[in-house]
Amino acid sequence: MSSALHLLPLCQLAAGATGRICVINGDDGFAQRLREMGFGEAALVTKISGRTTSLCQVNGTRIALNHNAAMAILVEALPAGVR
Amino acid sequence: MILPPHITPLGKKRPTGSDRTPIYALVGNPNCGKTTLFNALTGLRQKVGNYPGVTVEKKIGECYSQHGRPMKIIDLPGAYSLAARSPDEAVLRDVLLGRREDTPQPDRIICVLDATNLERNLYLAHQILDLGRPVIVVLNMMDLAVKAGLRIDTDQLAAALGVVVISCSAVHGKGLVELKLAMSRSDLPLARHRWDVPAPIAPAVAELQASLSDADAQSPLIARAEALLLLTDFESVRIAGSKPLSARTTTVLAAWKQRCLREENNWSGTLIRSRYAAINALCGEVLRRTRTQELSGSDRLDAVLVHSVWGWLFFGFIMGALFFSIFSLAEYPMNWIDAHIAALSSGIKTVLPPGDLRDLITDGVISGVGGIVIFLPQILILFFFVGLLESTGYMARAAFLMDRPMSKVGLHGKSFIPLLGSFACAIPGIMATRTIENAKDRLVTILIAPLMSCSARLPVYLLMIATLLPAAALPATWKAGLMLLMYLLGTAGAFGFAWLFKRTLFKSARPLMIMELPAYQPPRLKEILRQMVERSWLFLKNAGTIILGISIVLWFLTAYPKHPDPKASAEAQIAVSFAGQAGHLLEPVIKPLGFDWRIGIGLVTSFAAREVFVSSMSVIFGVQDNGEDALPVRDALRAARWPNGAILFTPLVCITLMVYYVFAMQCMSTIAVVKRETNSWRWPLFQIAYMTGTAWLVCFAIYQIGRALGY
Repeated sequence: MSSALHLLPLCQLAAGATGRICVINGDDGFAQRLREMGFGEAALVTKISGRTTSLCQVNGTRIALNHNAAMAILVEALPAGVR
Repeated sequence: MILPPHITPLGKKRPTGSDRTPIYALVGNPNCGKTTLFNALTGLRQKVGNYPGVTVEKKIGECYSQHGRPMKIIDLPGAYSLAARSPDEAVLRDVLLGRREDTPQPDRIICVLDATNLERNLYLAHQILDLGRPVIVVLNMMDLAVKAGLRIDTDQLAAALGVVVISCSAVHGKGLVELKLAMSRSDLPLARHRWDVPAPIAPAVAELQASLSDADAQSPLIARAEALLLLTDFESVRIAGSKPLSARTTTVLAAWKQRCLREENNWSGTLIRSRYAAINALCGEVLRRTRTQELSGSDRLDAVLVHSVWGWLFFGFIMGALFFSIFSLAEYPMNWIDAHIAALSSGIKTVLPPGDLRDLITDGVISGVGGIVIFLPQILILFFFVGLLESTGYMARAAFLMDRPMSKVGLHGKSFIPLLGSFACAIPGIMATRTIENAKDRLVTILIAPLMSCSARLPVYLLMIATLLPAAALPATWKAGLMLLMYLLGTAGAFGFAWLFKRTLFKSARPLMIMELPAYQPPRLKEILRQMVERSWLFLKNAGTIILGISIVLWFLTAYPKHPDPKASAEAQIAVSFAGQAGHLLEPVIKPLGFDWRIGIGLVTSFAAREVFVSSMSVIFGVQDNGEDALPVRDALRAARWPNGAILFTPLVCITLMVYYVFAMQCMSTIAVVKRETNSWRWPLFQIAYMTGTAWLVCFAIYQIGRALGY
């Protein structure tokens, strides 16, 4: 297992894959709202569909993010079967 | 006397003791079932209004305690957090902090949580508990939570938080009796809040709290909660009608914010982490998952409804049904209303002797107000659809699908909902922009919303098409095609201007959208009907009062000064009236578009509302009976000539006139709403200038090119 994390933006996470949120870029207010909605660092997110507008599942809720928002969130893809 | 910090002084303004009506605030996340609960508690005893200065609906209801005492409930807008990012959320924050002059500070708070998503819902509850008011926590949608395999130990949750916790399923009316019993208690416990302000923020909070208690007269706990919010807000939304911070607090806040920036602290992140740590610890105690989450019915529906092919097909079907209903089904009730208004008008004409009073009532008041009432069926149908789409949870999916096309012009999916509403009327459309968080995106959406062809343009289009195309000569599809072309032109214009504005006036970082897709639910018809009635009443009240006033003024302008010959025809009278003079003054400006002074009067009078154009045309072109349908007006228009004998309403002029109405800002009510929403005259004036300017330029091009081509 490599020691350096391989991070990719949420929009590039494959459909059906689960990732751990590592970095939130973008403006501070937006990052604050994401964290408040339980979409903060260390949260597990499952991608459902979409490359431009992403549909994700976090903590049992479905959340849609537009392309810019999904670009601002960097995740570490977890191997299948973690969840 | 100085009170120790843990004792909250009683409010100064309101009487104390048990005789006073307690005020409850109803708060919760969006889609947590708060409104269903509010309706279940208050029934029909509700008052809907607006918070002055912002177009956010204010709902206050009343219910009776177990002992028969009245209790007031304020239904506050749904929010994920008290850190406000939209005007809606700012209203919630300011009411709870007692910063609204127009709304009393609530004594007690009912915090509604969606039991299927306890962690996230507890975040807002955590902030609410900070306020130090008695709180009742309502765990709504317990039936769904049980179905999803979640077990919540309510007793343990109540013990941990120190507040009353009630499990409930508002849709099925379960738990309401228990809630009312709890609300009737005079000794609601105060929260035992086992949570400390994170150490790095504590000194700043302490100083700001002191300033808020001294200089802003906030009670200690409210001051602490407000200090936490102020210190961790990034782009806090301030709204009109809320008490601003005192000068001292502003200075203290600025100093700490500067220090936070200098030291590169992330107070917001620290605070959120600390709250979630407390929430996760709590959930570890009270929440058990009896089985792993599997695909729910909602998930299976989503697999189709947001699918890149099936999703769009379904979306197209829904939009098709919506437009079909608005334009075909609404025709029947509209004709019925039209006939009754005409009957009322002619009834008054037989009862009252001819004269100014009779004309004022029939031509001014009845035709003006009637012109608004006639659109009620279309507006009701639109609100029915919007209510249906919202209550089932589909609206968020539509916004999700539309996000990609909207992003091409720099907006995001959430702007789609107001634009859809604007097809019926720009007023509710503009009111729906309040859920868009980014101020610039909201403003762009407001600016372009009136370009979507609203139902008031319909009579103008219908009259022009009827004049343009003889009924028998051409198939109906031509008419429908022409009509559709006008709708497409308006929509294309709206998107084009959004693109332009986002690149020039409102240059901002590309918009970031995050939106929850709530679980699908069966539609609740009772709630939809209630919303239809409420919103239509607001529409009638807002639009009706302005239109009534303008109608009377316009009637005066067409009736005075009087023609020297009392027996002069209506046409001759209008020519000498103030409106006629204005039309003559306007003629040089509109002649390059192929319009004469009589059309000019129509343009001036229909500035109140576009549909007034049709009634103005019927008065000006000598159609005596206002009540009949467009047929005689059409014939009168066909017969109209320029002084040199040339035909006035050539096909080219009819098309130019329709295009003029596609683009021109011809609606007083919209201007009033935009003024209220943006809180300045700048944007409504800009809107008039850019829309009417575009209308003139486009019409000039069409008419002159058309003429050059020999039409």
